[in-house]
Amino acid sequence: MAPYLGNFLLWLSLFFAISQFFVSKKNKKSKFITISVIGLLISSLFSFFLLMYSHVVSDFSVLNVFQNSHTTKPLLYKISGTWGNHEGSMLLWILVLTIFNYFIFKLYNEKNSIFVSKALETQAFITIGFILFTVFTSNPFETINFAQADGLGFNPILQDPALAIHPPLLYIGYVGFSAAFSISIAVLTLENNEKISWSSYMKPFVVAAWTFLTIGIAFGSVWAYYELGWGGWWFWDPVENASLMPWLLGTALLHSLITVDKKKSLQSWVLLLSILAFLLSVLGTFLVRSGILTSVHTFALDPSRGIYILAFTAILGGYSLILFGLKSKKYFNNNYFSFFSKEGSILINNILMVVVCSSIFLGTIYPLLVEAFTNNKISVGEPYYNSTVVPIMIPAILIMGIGPILSWGKGDMLKTFKKIFPSILLTLIITLFIFLFYQSYSLIGVVGVVLAIWIISNNTIILFQKRSNLSNGMIVAHLGIGLLILGITGSSVWQEEKIIQMKVNNEAKIKEYNIVFKKINEIKGPNYFALQGDFFVYDKNKNIITNLQPENRFYPVTNSFTTEVSIHTNLLRDLYIVLGEGNLNDGWIVRIYYNPLVVWIWIGALTIFLGGLISMNNNLKKLKYSS
Amino acid sequence: MKKQFLIFPSVLFLSILLIFLYLLIIDRNPTELPSTLLNKKVPKFESESLFKEKKFVSSDVFGEKIKLVNFFATWCKPCRDEHSYVKRFSNQEGIEVIGINYKDNSQKTISWLKELGNPYSNIAVDKNGRIAIDWGVYGIPETFVVNSKGIIKYRHVGPITKKIYKKINLIISEIE
Repeated sequence: MAPYLGNFLLWLSLFFAISQFFVSKKNKKSKFITISVIGLLISSLFSFFLLMYSHVVSDFSVLNVFQNSHTTKPLLYKISGTWGNHEGSMLLWILVLTIFNYFIFKLYNEKNSIFVSKALETQAFITIGFILFTVFTSNPFETINFAQADGLGFNPILQDPALAIHPPLLYIGYVGFSAAFSISIAVLTLENNEKISWSSYMKPFVVAAWTFLTIGIAFGSVWAYYELGWGGWWFWDPVENASLMPWLLGTALLHSLITVDKKKSLQSWVLLLSILAFLLSVLGTFLVRSGILTSVHTFALDPSRGIYILAFTAILGGYSLILFGLKSKKYFNNNYFSFFSKEGSILINNILMVVVCSSIFLGTIYPLLVEAFTNNKISVGEPYYNSTVVPIMIPAILIMGIGPILSWGKGDMLKTFKKIFPSILLTLIITLFIFLFYQSYSLIGVVGVVLAIWIISNNTIILFQKRSNLSNGMIVAHLGIGLLILGITGSSVWQEEKIIQMKVNNEAKIKEYNIVFKKINEIKGPNYFALQGDFFVYDKNKNIITNLQPENRFYPVTNSFTTEVSIHTNLLRDLYIVLGEGNLNDGWIVRIYYNPLVVWIWIGALTIFLGGLISMNNNLKKLKYSS
Repeated sequence: MKKQFLIFPSVLFLSILLIFLYLLIIDRNPTELPSTLLNKKVPKFESESLFKEKKFVSSDVFGEKIKLVNFFATWCKPCRDEHSYVKRFSNQEGIEVIGINYKDNSQKTISWLKELGNPYSNIAVDKNGRIAIDWGVYGIPETFVVNSKGIIKYRHVGPITKKIYKKINLIISEIE
């Protein structure tokens, strides 16, 4: 019953999306628009929950449940299994689209009905595209005729709490840019919108998208760190890049929107960025779902899906970018401004973000280009990204420390210097202190620590001064970036790795710690069996620090093995142990990592998220106040 | 003057999509990895032989005939799927299939082969995965084509499907 109803509701949402597309052409708010928008929201919401219901009750007459679930799976993963597969994730994507659609609808007031209708028309078009794709190439409600006793199981590597919420957060990010896209299209197609403060409409959406994209990427990283057991948290995988690129453009967009608000400059630039941010999000989906690139995220390889998304991206991209090419002249102005000003620093930030984004884009698609033109296979890895991204990010972060305290128009150098002098001093002292204490020098390490402390001290000082002209959300988010840089620098520059074969009662040493392999246990989980190593960690005074128990799990349903990392975290470092292959006679391969400051990456990301939420709240208040 | 460069993003974007389209429609397999061992001699190794009494010595086995080297294990489901194709190869004239039993239990392997049939002329036991490392195996199943001089001519990662079966046959007929 549920799958048929779910399927019906999916078709119903297609109907509402189409009706919204046509009635919004009337350019005014009517009850038909209200019905379409609300109907679309409710039908896609219920359709989504019906799929979730089928997963929770393990209804194996649904192909999607049969292929991705199993009765022994814990409840949390039955729920997250709804979006842990291609078809279900498309349904989630549609749901998020309709939620943002509803918020665009909420922008209606007496003066802007033409504008909002135009944005709703575009949003409806995007929604129709994705529903058609889902219905025809990836319908999650497809049923199977013969009864199945149990499902095929869910990839155990995806059974992780961080990954359970990673996709919804990420999708709010990706899809949030659709609203900015729709608003840009409305700006470009309509002639008389001088009275519409479109940048203030766009801002809450961009802040929301960026904030959730940040935390979504962070959860993906947490998953990679805890679940893959490779000792790191970022691997420059094509799919990671696909999420980082819209994030970088989103960062640029967020900042240049402020300039549009205050100075009416950079308007055409903002329009281009908001179009590109969404196009890159869709293109990211294409890269993942078409199987054109191989990565850990590749779902099913199905060329028809690839062709569809590609065609849809071509329509969206072709239309929006050609429109931009023809119409954006009006928004182009040559208000040259001084570089030593807030808008100057924002412009430099924008340029640097776009350059970083382009170089990541090039690195991601370069193997494809080479293959298309020469038939050779190459892969672009970490060294490329490290040597292109890091040097460009360094000036961006330096500027980030000063940007917020510069004034609009023309800044006063002496005054600014006085303002930042305390943080320069603080940075120097703390950095010196750190390196005297740790005595571990590396150029990139020094630069990273200086930058991190620079941002942290700057923003902490501002936060305590309670300057009313600066947004708290921004300061908190910037502080988060500082913490993030600290974590990234520590864990990438001073990581230590040891791979050894250990028998029971053997010892290993990493940094000041002594690790003793006590015993090996056989344990049984809800849907797996595992070998669990028992390791005791002692410090140099022979005090016991912790007991780490990495596992080697076997999931009989999917017939697959996974490793469960065991980590001991404190504010300074993570001790990270992975139990590899082995047996009682020869011992086990054990990988031990000493990862400094990793926890600050997560704290930093959460702080950024918090800053984003504060800023979202402020922007929504402003919007209410102005309308 | 401005008009021209404002249209540039759309041109760039659409040309990138065209390249993607080309890659999507040409017959390509993103999991196909070129082996660094291509056109090189097979790596030398020695190990236990699953059925035969004497040791498996690589230099004794390769040469004279065209050989297919198939890495497999009983715990790997795709290996079961491709088994019928492996059998078809072993029934062909002039081809021998060497199995490399990767990180597996020998007793299980013997009963697995009893159930499905044994297409292998010889099976090397790779208990600790050492042979797979020497061959640069990425994930099993994996199949290599070795010519009569003991030189690796082709590598396929993943199970043999109908399409791959045809492709390998084509390569075999070329090197004959």
